[in-house]
Amino acid sequence: MMSHILNVLLSGVFHASILFLVAAGLQVVFGVQKIFNLACGSFYALGAYVGVSFVQAFLRAGLPPELFVLALVAGGLCAAVVGPVVERGLLRFVYDRDETFQLLLTFAVVLMLEDAIRMVWGTSPLSTGGLYLLYGQVRILGVTVPVYNLIVIGAGLLIALLIGYMLTRTKFGRIIRAAADNREMAEALGVDMPWMYVRVFTLGTVLGTVGGALVIPATATMTEMGIELIVEAFAVVVIGGLGSMRGAFVGALVVGILRSIAISTYPELEMLLIYLIVIAVLVLKPRGLFGEVGV
Amino acid sequence: MRAAGLAVVAAVILSVPFVAGDFHTTLMLPFFAYSVILLGFNLLFGYTGLLSFGHSLFIGIGAYAAAFLTSKFGVMHLEASLLAAAAAAGLVAAPIGALCVRYVKIYFAMLTLAFGMLFYSFLLKFYFVTGGDEGMRVLQPFLLAFDLSAMPKIRFLTGPYYYYSVAVLAVATFVMWRIVSSPFGLCLRSIRDNPNKAEFLGVSVKRYRWYAFMISAVYAAVGGALLGPTTGQVDPNLAYWTHSGNIVFMTLLGGFANFFGPLVGALVFIFLQDTVMSVVPYWRFVFGAILAFLVIFAPGGLMGLLDAQVARWGEKARHVGAPT
Amino acid sequence: MGREGQTRGGTHVILRAHDIRKSFGEFPALNGVSLEIKEGEFVSIIGPNGAGKTTFINVVTGLLTPSGGKVFFKDRDITGLGPLKLSGLGMARSFQLVNIFPELTVLECIKVAVVSRLGRGRRLFSSLARDQEVHAKALEVAELFGLAEKSHTPAKKLPQGDKKLLDVASAFALYPEIILLDEPTSGVSTRDKHAIMEILVSASERIGIKAIVQVEHDMDIVFGYSDRIIALHQGKVLADGTPEEIRANEEVVNTVVGRKARALGRGA
Repeated sequence: MMSHILNVLLSGVFHASILFLVAAGLQVVFGVQKIFNLACGSFYALGAYVGVSFVQAFLRAGLPPELFVLALVAGGLCAAVVGPVVERGLLRFVYDRDETFQLLLTFAVVLMLEDAIRMVWGTSPLSTGGLYLLYGQVRILGVTVPVYNLIVIGAGLLIALLIGYMLTRTKFGRIIRAAADNREMAEALGVDMPWMYVRVFTLGTVLGTVGGALVIPATATMTEMGIELIVEAFAVVVIGGLGSMRGAFVGALVVGILRSIAISTYPELEMLLIYLIVIAVLVLKPRGLFGEVGV
Repeated sequence: MRAAGLAVVAAVILSVPFVAGDFHTTLMLPFFAYSVILLGFNLLFGYTGLLSFGHSLFIGIGAYAAAFLTSKFGVMHLEASLLAAAAAAGLVAAPIGALCVRYVKIYFAMLTLAFGMLFYSFLLKFYFVTGGDEGMRVLQPFLLAFDLSAMPKIRFLTGPYYYYSVAVLAVATFVMWRIVSSPFGLCLRSIRDNPNKAEFLGVSVKRYRWYAFMISAVYAAVGGALLGPTTGQVDPNLAYWTHSGNIVFMTLLGGFANFFGPLVGALVFIFLQDTVMSVVPYWRFVFGAILAFLVIFAPGGLMGLLDAQVARWGEKARHVGAPT
Repeated sequence: MGREGQTRGGTHVILRAHDIRKSFGEFPALNGVSLEIKEGEFVSIIGPNGAGKTTFINVVTGLLTPSGGKVFFKDRDITGLGPLKLSGLGMARSFQLVNIFPELTVLECIKVAVVSRLGRGRRLFSSLARDQEVHAKALEVAELFGLAEKSHTPAKKLPQGDKKLLDVASAFALYPEIILLDEPTSGVSTRDKHAIMEILVSASERIGIKAIVQVEHDMDIVFGYSDRIIALHQGKVLADGTPEEIRANEEVVNTVVGRKARALGRGA
């Protein structure tokens, strides 16, 4: 019984780590640019596909399979080049427009990326095959956990700490928080906003693409993965609160674990539960647990 | 001038089954259904200023209402399906709308998206009721109590069903025209433009948004019910959030600031989708690019561009006619 | 109502604020403001920036709930009632930053108020264009404000001064009993200011508005039209009296009014 609970928890935390990365990307973009980036799921998917391709090339080149994670992460990082392209090529034209149009533009990116991925990689699922268990498994308190999962959870934690450090201790992070608080004042104080926006959006993109790359060994790429993820990511930021990094962390844990519980008990309820929670949160505490933005 | 234009359009629409082939005629059927849906959607978006990303919820309700009635309960009358769709949508929209209109902009969009996806999950997971991802069948309905089930499907669709759909659309258009031209319509527009000020002038912003929400839901469901018989099948994807996205796209494409804009958008969308898909399967990319272009350069859509062009011609005409 | 030297004003109090307090977090914007407005009065509220004038108007008109104190309108406690209900009770206001419906035409902006007043907002199927009563009443108000020729101009295309007039006109179209104006002549050229005030005064008489309260910075306007002046400073009432009394009040003159009005006073 204990091991079952632990199993559910661990798989929930694994999923939460990935969700956190994507949600963190969403939050930082929303916090500074006040845009809810529907395409974050698409970036996630792109990271996954590029990651797989990199790993396949890596293996074909005869490089040691144990290092496949490096290829994966490299793939995720390279996929992030789509970020500045989207930001400079499209988003910057609508910063002064109504939120509705900004949302619609990100939806346009979703559509374009979905087919772009289809064009390049086709529609069959891709995976890294047996590499998932290459690092073996470990027994913790009666539960067998792939070491890879632990690596990802560790990476998620590390990134969370790094983000926290960056936001509070570095100049870039302080500027991010200032701009999120009061854009005009930040501009008046000499912050180069366009350059800021590119960097922030790219940061958000990288988090998403790397998240997508990291999840691949445990699953497989699917054409719908980006579109499905946005709804989960949305649930995370609603529960955690729009614009809050802490919210992304806690929200990801809540969604990840709840989803895991749902899958193991009533699979039919999986997403139903998540949406109900989203609606409940939006009704009872619209700002989420840590949100600062008014409704 | 406008009446003449409408008459021409009506004449063209009515003559399509006689001049165009079966394929193009059947392509018009989803156009009629989506037009009804869009009339309701734009009441909410263009006239009241609320962007819903969950409109597919009500389309799904309407479509599945028709499926249930025809294939599960043997009630074949399309009128019954339309009424059931409208009633179901109204019943669902009342509490959901009351909740959602308390929020605006992104939160409203996301809340409606969540409700839409909730329904989608329900349709998918409760397969013993809804048929899951295989969906449900919609059997050829009776039109105005005429049992036409003996008629082969194509003849049914390009004949009686075509004109029935046109009639439903005509009624829906007329009713919506009355609504937007009414004092209620004026209040909606004031809420769109400046909800604060509207409140100060005694317009109950929440309540009127709620009314608009319910009306748009009913329209979506009626359109959804019309969609079913065209393919004979309904499935959960009708409720998926990207389907809501398509609705928004059609509205933007045609122009949300114009009463007929979204209908133009639906027509262009459907035929464009068909054209693009016959050339290359990547219609989403094309549409994404078009949407991006619209948002950045032509937020008023096709009708917006048309209006601007007409205004320019008007200016030129004035200058030409003016004495030097 | 509203000419220097002529104090009318029956004894009936139409609006009463009792010890209004409002804090934004730590910052106390209003520190116990009490005042009365009588029927027939034209009252100006003056004070330096940050004195709490707009906050006070926002509390009275229901946009903000006070942290303490009560507001009475026609002897009824309206504290925290909200603008929607207050508009139905006979209170209207205009805004410091122009507040109109950009996409609606001038006449339509006014019609919103008329439709609301006549309770026709729920008519879904009748044609607005053919509603003679609404049209006539809206046109009447438009004419009072000199906007009739621009009836079909979209509000966003109006010059700034006309936008302000439209904001006020639509509030007047509610036929309120009391109207509160937040800087009705700000952003308008000096020449137009008096024109606007004349319009306001004559329109109120035509419509039968029982009291006008305005927040105003221009001392010419304040002393030229008010029956009574209330000076606010740091969230409290500094002085409350006729123009002569205010002019004679050294403290007010120093903190609020400035040299120009003192010069005016010497010249009178």
